[in-house]
Amino acid sequence: MGTILVVAEIQKGAIRDASYELVAAARGIEGAEVNGLVIGSGVGDLASEFASKGAGKTLVVDDPAAANYNVDVWSKAIKAAAEASGADLILISNTPTGWDVAPRIAAGLDCAFVSDAIRVAGGDGGYNLVRRIFNGKLDAEVSTSGKTVASMQPGAGTAYEGSSDGGTEALSTDLSAIAKFVEIKIAASTGVDLTKADVIVSGGRGVGDPEKFPEIIQPLADALGGAMGASRPVVDAGWLDHPYQVGSSGQIVAPKLYIAAGISGAIQHLVGMKASNFIVAINKDPDAPIFEVADVGIVADLFDIVPALSEAVKAAKG
Amino acid sequence: MKVMVCLKQVPHQDARLDVNADGTWIQEDNIKFEINSYDTYAVEEALRLKDAGDAEVVVVSIGPDRVTAALRTALGMGADRAVHVNDAAAQGADALGIAKILAAVAKEEGADVIFAGLMAEDDNASAIPPMVAELLGFPSATGVLATDFSADTVTVERELEGGALEVVELPKPCLIAIQSGANQVRYASLKGIMQAKKKPVDVKTLADLGLAESASAAQNKTTVNKVYVPAKGDTAEILSGSTDEVVGQLVTKIKELGLL
Ligand SMILES: Cc1cc2nc3c(=O)[nH]c(=O)nc-3n(C[C@H](O)[C@H](O)[C@H](O)COP(=O)(O)OP(=O)(O)OC[C@H]3O[C@@H](n4cnc5c(N)ncnc54)[C@H](O)[C@@H]3O)c2cc1C
Ligand SMILES: Nc1ncnc2c1ncn2[C@@H]1O[C@H](COP(=O)(O)O)[C@@H](O)[C@H]1O
Repeated sequence: MGTILVVAEIQKGAIRDASYELVAAARGIEGAEVNGLVIGSGVGDLASEFASKGAGKTLVVDDPAAANYNVDVWSKAIKAAAEASGADLILISNTPTGWDVAPRIAAGLDCAFVSDAIRVAGGDGGYNLVRRIFNGKLDAEVSTSGKTVASMQPGAGTAYEGSSDGGTEALSTDLSAIAKFVEIKIAASTGVDLTKADVIVSGGRGVGDPEKFPEIIQPLADALGGAMGASRPVVDAGWLDHPYQVGSSGQIVAPKLYIAAGISGAIQHLVGMKASNFIVAINKDPDAPIFEVADVGIVADLFDIVPALSEAVKAAKG
Repeated sequence: MKVMVCLKQVPHQDARLDVNADGTWIQEDNIKFEINSYDTYAVEEALRLKDAGDAEVVVVSIGPDRVTAALRTALGMGADRAVHVNDAAAQGADALGIAKILAAVAKEEGADVIFAGLMAEDDNASAIPPMVAELLGFPSATGVLATDFSADTVTVERELEGGALEVVELPKPCLIAIQSGANQVRYASLKGIMQAKKKPVDVKTLADLGLAESASAAQNKTTVNKVYVPAKGDTAEILSGSTDEVVGQLVTKIKELGLL
């Protein structure tokens, strides 16, 4: 195998764990040479850290124009680094940055692209990757030919913990951009703070009807002295407000008890609740991915189970 | 202003998913299809521009005959025209192949703004829209929850992690990939559906777009070799019995957790 370019991402002043997961994925490919890339402004120290913690020789695009993420700046920097390193595999994390820029790189290089992979290995004239499709219900094995850009799912692997001595090398290239960064806004958080609840009862698209949330989900949450939550489609449809949403783009929770009713278990929901102490899943589909993270599962109609459970809990409390 | 919306028809979210005979995709016979949910938000965003008075909305989809239904639905919602790229050679084309076709349509249409969905619910790739932008030399933004149009630019809000939004200004022409929940999607009205029957759907082949050689599945650089139900890892203890029995077992567990 050839050279792998690992693109680091900086979050809150540090290289994120996901970037070290990329390093581990790259180091797991037999016979490959691993190179790093760090993009930003005033990021020399972070680049040295990346170079010494597994990324090996690390290219640095250090430029005021890269102070904030910009799709055109990143696209140009990564393409230039791919060329400078001669990489035949470019790895980036499937974060909002990764999914914004990675496909552009592949199209610009007219090469293979695989997104949100959970595993990567060397292949015959390319790479072999595994990824989830249909919101986690199926897996797909994908092979590429020739130069490949791949984004990896954050959290799918573990972060690299070894060291390397590669040193850094400045890379300067044209970073002119058409898109213009304006600002980062933090959405005001209102009301419901699910992170403080001991018990959360969440309903998903399977609840099917906005009225069923106050009718059956909230009463179970009340009976257990907990809070009500929801999956994203429920919030997107306007059935509940955003503060109720659990998941990668909602609240990250870890209650003592999490009950998921009518939620399939897409990765973006799982990352928001899988650290819960005890997880109960109620779903009529025995193959729903939610059962993989649940401690206890009930394969049944939630409209039978949830109201009966509310009554039983009330009775148990006397 | 010419607004193009890329929409994909995908298996209905409640469709039964069985792996096909050669194990490379799902069995598509006898299941229902629908417009990819993310794309419904993209259509709505385009129609709001039209309602504001200055846009022609063209919906574009690549796929087999069944895709006509998805395009008719979008026309029923209020889109003006549809382009259906229907060519056996495009079946199974990888993301870059599909992106090349969409880019060719965008060029032919002279699109000022291209809307797409953040991700298709079937392949979960989030790949095609930024590729289309790159091929056209357009600026792009993905995961967009809000758009604000002025004469020459569009200011968009991209969803990041932890409740953060990134505000980006894109000069036109540009591509915007919409995140779900960006708006409340309208339904096709009865009147809209009647009118849609008279609206034009242009059916095109790869040759019509000058792409016969470059964008077919034969050019794929990425191949799906195998699709399968993921091996069950450490799966849940499944409670069985009547409703009363499972509920009883569950109450016992909740008591053991010290929560009752
Ligand atoms: C960038 C990004 C960020 C995202 N962020 C989030 C996030 O923060 N949170 C989130 O939740 N999602 C998020 N998503 C969306 C995610 O990909 C899934 O679409 C979503 O989690 C699915 O929600 P669901 O499980 O409720 O719906 P579905 O996947 O449609 O599942 C519904 C389930 O209900 C079951 N069901 C139906 N009827 C019944 C019944 N009567 N009884 C029992 N079971 C029944 C079905 O078997 C099915 O498993 C995000 C996606 C993206 C791309
Ligand atoms: N066959 C297609 N025809 C038209 N648009 C498509 C097609 N496939 C994907 N798209 C667009 O690209 C978006 C992302 O799809 P994907 O990259 O497959 O996740 C979709 O939401 C659509 O807007």
